[in-house]
Amino acid sequence: MTLLDVRDLSVRYEPKASRPLDAVQGVTFSIEPGEFVGLIGESGSGKTTLGTALLRLLQRPGRISGGSIEFNGTDITNLPEDELRQLRWRDLSTVFQSSMNSLNPVVRVEGQFRDAIEQHSSLRGEAVTRRIRELFDMVIIDPKFMTAFPHELSGGMRQRVNLALALALDPKFILLDEPTTGLDVVVQHSILENVRRLQAEQGFAVLFISHDIGTVLDLSDRILVMYAGRIVEDQSAGALLREPLHPYTKGLLGSYGDPREETVKITYVPGRPPDLSRTMVGCSFAPRCPERIQLCAEQDPPLVPLHGGRVACHVAVLQREDGGAERFGEPKRGFEGPQFVKTADESRSALANEVVLSVENVSKVFERRRGFTLTRTEAVSDVSFELRRGEVTALVGQSGSGKSTLAKMITGVETPTQGRIVFHGPDGDKLVSGFKGRALRAYRSDVQMVFQDPYSSINPAKRLGYVLSRPLVNYQGLKGDELRERVKELLERVALTPADRFINRYGYELSGGQRQRVIIAKALAVEPEIIVADEPISSLDVSIRAEILELLNDLVKENDVGILYITHDLLSARMLSDEVIVLNHGKVVEKGPTLGVIREPKDDYTRSLLDAIPNPF
Amino acid sequence: MTTTPVPTPGEDFMPPTESDLAVEQVSDVETPDQWWQVIWSSKKARVGIIVLAIYVLVAIFAPLIAPHDPLDGSFEPLAGPSSTNWLGTTTSGQDIASQLIYGARISLLVGLFGGLFATVIATVIGLTSGYAEGTLLDDGLSFLTNVFLVIPVFPLIITLVAYSEVRGLWLIVGVVAITSWAGAARAKRSQIITLRNRDFVTAAKFSGEGTWRIIFREIMPNMSSLVLASFVGAATGAIAAEAGLAALGLGDSRNVSWGTMLYQSNAQGAIAQGLWLWVFAPGLVLAILMTATTFINFGVDLLSNPHLREDA
Repeated sequence: MTLLDVRDLSVRYEPKASRPLDAVQGVTFSIEPGEFVGLIGESGSGKTTLGTALLRLLQRPGRISGGSIEFNGTDITNLPEDELRQLRWRDLSTVFQSSMNSLNPVVRVEGQFRDAIEQHSSLRGEAVTRRIRELFDMVIIDPKFMTAFPHELSGGMRQRVNLALALALDPKFILLDEPTTGLDVVVQHSILENVRRLQAEQGFAVLFISHDIGTVLDLSDRILVMYAGRIVEDQSAGALLREPLHPYTKGLLGSYGDPREETVKITYVPGRPPDLSRTMVGCSFAPRCPERIQLCAEQDPPLVPLHGGRVACHVAVLQREDGGAERFGEPKRGFEGPQFVKTADESRSALANEVVLSVENVSKVFERRRGFTLTRTEAVSDVSFELRRGEVTALVGQSGSGKSTLAKMITGVETPTQGRIVFHGPDGDKLVSGFKGRALRAYRSDVQMVFQDPYSSINPAKRLGYVLSRPLVNYQGLKGDELRERVKELLERVALTPADRFINRYGYELSGGQRQRVIIAKALAVEPEIIVADEPISSLDVSIRAEILELLNDLVKENDVGILYITHDLLSARMLSDEVIVLNHGKVVEKGPTLGVIREPKDDYTRSLLDAIPNPF
Repeated sequence: MTTTPVPTPGEDFMPPTESDLAVEQVSDVETPDQWWQVIWSSKKARVGIIVLAIYVLVAIFAPLIAPHDPLDGSFEPLAGPSSTNWLGTTTSGQDIASQLIYGARISLLVGLFGGLFATVIATVIGLTSGYAEGTLLDDGLSFLTNVFLVIPVFPLIITLVAYSEVRGLWLIVGVVAITSWAGAARAKRSQIITLRNRDFVTAAKFSGEGTWRIIFREIMPNMSSLVLASFVGAATGAIAAEAGLAALGLGDSRNVSWGTMLYQSNAQGAIAQGLWLWVFAPGLVLAILMTATTFINFGVDLLSNPHLREDA
């Protein structure tokens, strides 16, 4: 019997202040007991709304505006809260997107388990403790952490605790909403393996929501692809990989490549999803679709069965009709949109450029005094490398490996304890150490930074024109028309065109990719020699990462800057960088030309980072 | 580096050109509501704003509205309400209605300037000490804030006013401002501590901004709702403090305010004599003004917490 049966479900947001929008539109699917289903789509596609609606956790101004949800034979679409309470956690449970914060900070972990277990089962006292111990074993955490407070656990451990909490009452169905976003690749990898293993052992059904098709493909039996509030493709994972039907799926698949190849190509889906508060004619993906035909602009494609799956695409259906291949071309597997290509030759030439920054045997020790004891932590130890003009060096390592400390020393915020950093600038060599006041300000006209989170690095209270004009005013003393012209030039430089349409916008009106472009434009404003890019793509949708990588790559080529690219993701390091330095516990464990390191990793740590790259191919 | 999309063969295909595919558009979400729109959207705040507007108009046009000079003692003392004296007269033969109308001027001025000065002090001290958290400057400013927090405010005000030579409006404004900023400074300090580590602050440092500009041009606009809310709170407090001081006889006897009216009525034993209007009229207008500012604060709350907007 079907465990979860969703029919024609629609969710409508009706905010008081703005136009209503249908975030989920007529979605129909079902999940069998023990099935692992992935749900993918980019941010704003309605996947989280759909998940929340399934758990009946929608909050005003959102509401289920049509259709039905049947769970285990009961229609829960309109079930009163009191009856829902019986079902939640016992039969359907969840790990939330922001689950880093979903543990109560003032209650010990054990207490949070106890609450849930005692509420829904007859276990009491010692029996509950035994059950918690069992759950901790399941998610591979030492039971000694049972009495810890949530802040004493690392991010990965907290996420495992959340998973254990969701499993506490042997539910039949678990909703995982991007459970590993914000975690390290290696940790992410191990948690997801854990999930898959437990799912196989215990046979609960999972709906796994993610924007990252790579991880979803690794884990799921079946995949639903969501775009603009609708399911556009529904296929088994194997079939989807072999023959993706919808062009959007092809676009998502294109965001992965094999980093070991001589030439790597990754594609991206340009543009952004449509505004759902407007009525659309035709297919909602058509404006971004390289395969569209006249029909797409006129008729909305229905979700129809095809090749054992379902798809909502005119072209896919027509191509597979009798004689369709002749009239509409053979079905294609790849996404024929813009792509970003990196060849091994480019890197070879870049490595001969002039050195702009040299890091010589640098160590950094932090001392912390607690009472009479002095604890010394060596965050970075004996690191040396050189950064060249027109070249990208990738600094790879997981959190806590010392990459941020190194970045702070290079940007002149911290002083190295040992060793030295020398900046070979236009006005001669300069020793970089913890600059203060005016010296720091002056150094920043040579070294700029691109931040990890484009959502918090643009002042929400300021217009883009203002944001971009400040460095120009401060470092170049531009005024009036000249200033305005230069701001426009910068916007156009990062392909935010026409500049007039962006100059008076606020940061939050843009998509993540566009915001990151603004940050890059701002870094370029002072015409720096070095840009330190601290995980600039990790908080972006996988499908648009390539466009930012491409922009950075163009900058290196055209403006002759050196980029220090900090990341935990070896695939993006391969796409962008010429040289890679792998950092583990503050020490350089591997260093060399990117392709060489990736093809023949010598260190175990590098290997584990490579294994963590989802490789659906 | 980029390869443009390959044109697709087949007659029925529209060849997608680069310009077609360059769908890098800005969403057409309209600019979000301005702060005044948000405040106006709350029913309570609307009521508060309308009431306040009436008070302001009455204060501005007091000479036109008031039937008599408030200090003119030529009427029959202790008269009941009549067509010449709408609310009757005081023991010294002054028109209560006129006093009430002129009294609005003092109360509103004290509210406006007392609130303004207190907010300015609180903002400068709170933001500076929060931004410099952990330094000696912060320790010093926090110490100062704490001192002002623990001093019993009302006795201090009374002492200050009692010993001062002049008893003008500005003395009251000044005293109210320097005694009431501390709590708001605390709130602002903790707010800026959460904001100062945001990436956009670091980004501003990288674009070469100085400390003052970062605090007041980059960070402060992001906490405008808190600043506005503390202004409304401080203004309400200032109006109440002025009335309280005047009612204790520490006001400026040459001016008429609701507080001095209350003081006079109390001193003359208005309640014992059954002159209810003399006591209730100033008390009531004061209470309505407080309520109005509190209502406006409901609207201001919506600014700082967008989640509340749906329920407004």
